[in-house]
Amino acid sequence: MAPSKTVAPANASAANVLSSVVNSYIDKTPQRTKLIDAFLGFLVLTGVLQFVYCVVAGNYPFNAFLAGFSATVGQFVLTVSLRMQSNTENKGAFEAVSPERAFADYIFGSLILHFFCINFIN
Amino acid sequence: MALHSLIFSLLWICVSVASAASLTGSRLLVVLEDSDLKATYSQFLGDLEARGYDLSIQSPKDEKLSLFEHGERAYDHVILFPPKSKGYGPSLTPQKLVDFTNKEGNVLVLTSPSGITEQARELARELEIDLPPRDFLAVDHFNYNTLSESEKHDVILIPRPAKADNSQNYFSGKEGEMIAFRGAGHMLGNRPLIFPVLSGSRTAYTYDTKEDFSYAEDPWVAGSQMHYVTALQARNNARITVSGSTDMFSDEFFAMEVQAPGSEKKIKTANREFAKEISGWTFQEIGVVKVAEVRHYLANTTEQVNPIVYRVKNDITYEISLSTWSNDRWVPFSIPSGDALQLEFTMLDPYYRLSLAPSTTTAESQVYTATFRAPDQHGIFSFRVNYKRPFVTYVDEKWTVPLRHFAHDEYTRSWDISGAWVWIAGIAVTVAGWMVFCGLWLYSAPPKKVEVSKKKN
Repeated sequence: MAPSKTVAPANASAANVLSSVVNSYIDKTPQRTKLIDAFLGFLVLTGVLQFVYCVVAGNYPFNAFLAGFSATVGQFVLTVSLRMQSNTENKGAFEAVSPERAFADYIFGSLILHFFCINFIN
Repeated sequence: MALHSLIFSLLWICVSVASAASLTGSRLLVVLEDSDLKATYSQFLGDLEARGYDLSIQSPKDEKLSLFEHGERAYDHVILFPPKSKGYGPSLTPQKLVDFTNKEGNVLVLTSPSGITEQARELARELEIDLPPRDFLAVDHFNYNTLSESEKHDVILIPRPAKADNSQNYFSGKEGEMIAFRGAGHMLGNRPLIFPVLSGSRTAYTYDTKEDFSYAEDPWVAGSQMHYVTALQARNNARITVSGSTDMFSDEFFAMEVQAPGSEKKIKTANREFAKEISGWTFQEIGVVKVAEVRHYLANTTEQVNPIVYRVKNDITYEISLSTWSNDRWVPFSIPSGDALQLEFTMLDPYYRLSLAPSTTTAESQVYTATFRAPDQHGIFSFRVNYKRPFVTYVDEKWTVPLRHFAHDEYTRSWDISGAWVWIAGIAVTVAGWMVFCGLWLYSAPPKKVEVSKKKN
């Protein structure tokens, strides 16, 4: 994803750089990619909360921690994959994969992940 | 089959009616060179007869004498009295006596200073009991019988062995009882199977009577290292007792009145009682213990006793019933208060070693119980009770059980563990978030135009 096209003056302050990055993101990023980013943020938050709970409250039962935490991490990885495949700017790298195909793969992978995690947490 | 067992039980009843107080049989061989000597030991032999033994008094020189018949023991027990000649003869070699004990026969070896045969010495040496040479005599100048005429102080007064709360006191008798002894002391090796019964006091010693001045200067053995009567229980529970004196079993000593130095009181010796006890122990009347029953089951349910498999972390109850032989029947066997009966739960080495507590008592046996939780380790385990104590039949009971791991559906469900709720919620939130995301994704298809225009670009 690319705020690179924005031409910033050489002496721009850090705040200017930041705001131009944000503006560029808001302006040029497609709706679906923004949606993916929001979901990724949500997953990071959930994962961090689970990990902090494990550190604070102990890891018993450990399989439950593994299942819960890896569900979040796995979902994050799959979602990042979807983001890469559905991004129009990466079209060249995934010529054979249409956005619909990418989404179907994503759903399939996610269902398998959920099945494994629920089975593992017992 | 039924007829078979009926005949067998009838036979068994006949046998039990005829049997002695001893558990293992009543055939007793008394090896006595001179049948005139029978009169000397009439009370001792009479007591044995009264307890139901079939005495067979034979001379060691008798050519027909044999401990075995058709390869089996011809006798259940043997008493060897010391002969006047130098040996017992060819039928009582140490090798044959050891064979006899290997076949679970019991031997009571009585020696006297003038009658220690080479065979007895060699047999004793195999047991790590070191008998003195001929004509060595034990004396004690502080604990002798003041009423006996000899100036040698050779009639030693031995108090009954002290009572201990951690062992069976089969020979302790009553307080203040004295056993009169005239003979030689012996030394013992380090073998764990030998149990000294009567031991020397600090002032007792054994010396060579042929040497006039050897007395206390150069004793052969002295003090508490010297033993008068020693018992041995072999690994097959056959028993051998060696006594340094035959006189202590004679009528003279049974009836003797003794008085210790410094004491005003004449007392009668306890030799007769002691002779009964020591011969009874040797011939498997006393201290015979058996495991009547072993039961193990899941704690709190006796639905299935002695199951073939347990799971890790099962609560298991183990019960062992012990009986001891008393004259003509089995009675409950109780462990001395200072001792413990222990259960080991072992796989190669013990994972647990637990004290078994007495629980219920039946007419025949005392039940000892322990309940424990199986370790979190699967494999082939065994319940083992290894109770080896002086003067008691060795108990070594082993029962092997496999311990399996949890089956897949035996683990606790995650929602039953409150600690897992956060991670269950983690999965739920992830899945729910994913569904919301998918829904939004489907409703946020980008306008076709944009794509077309981008393609054109």
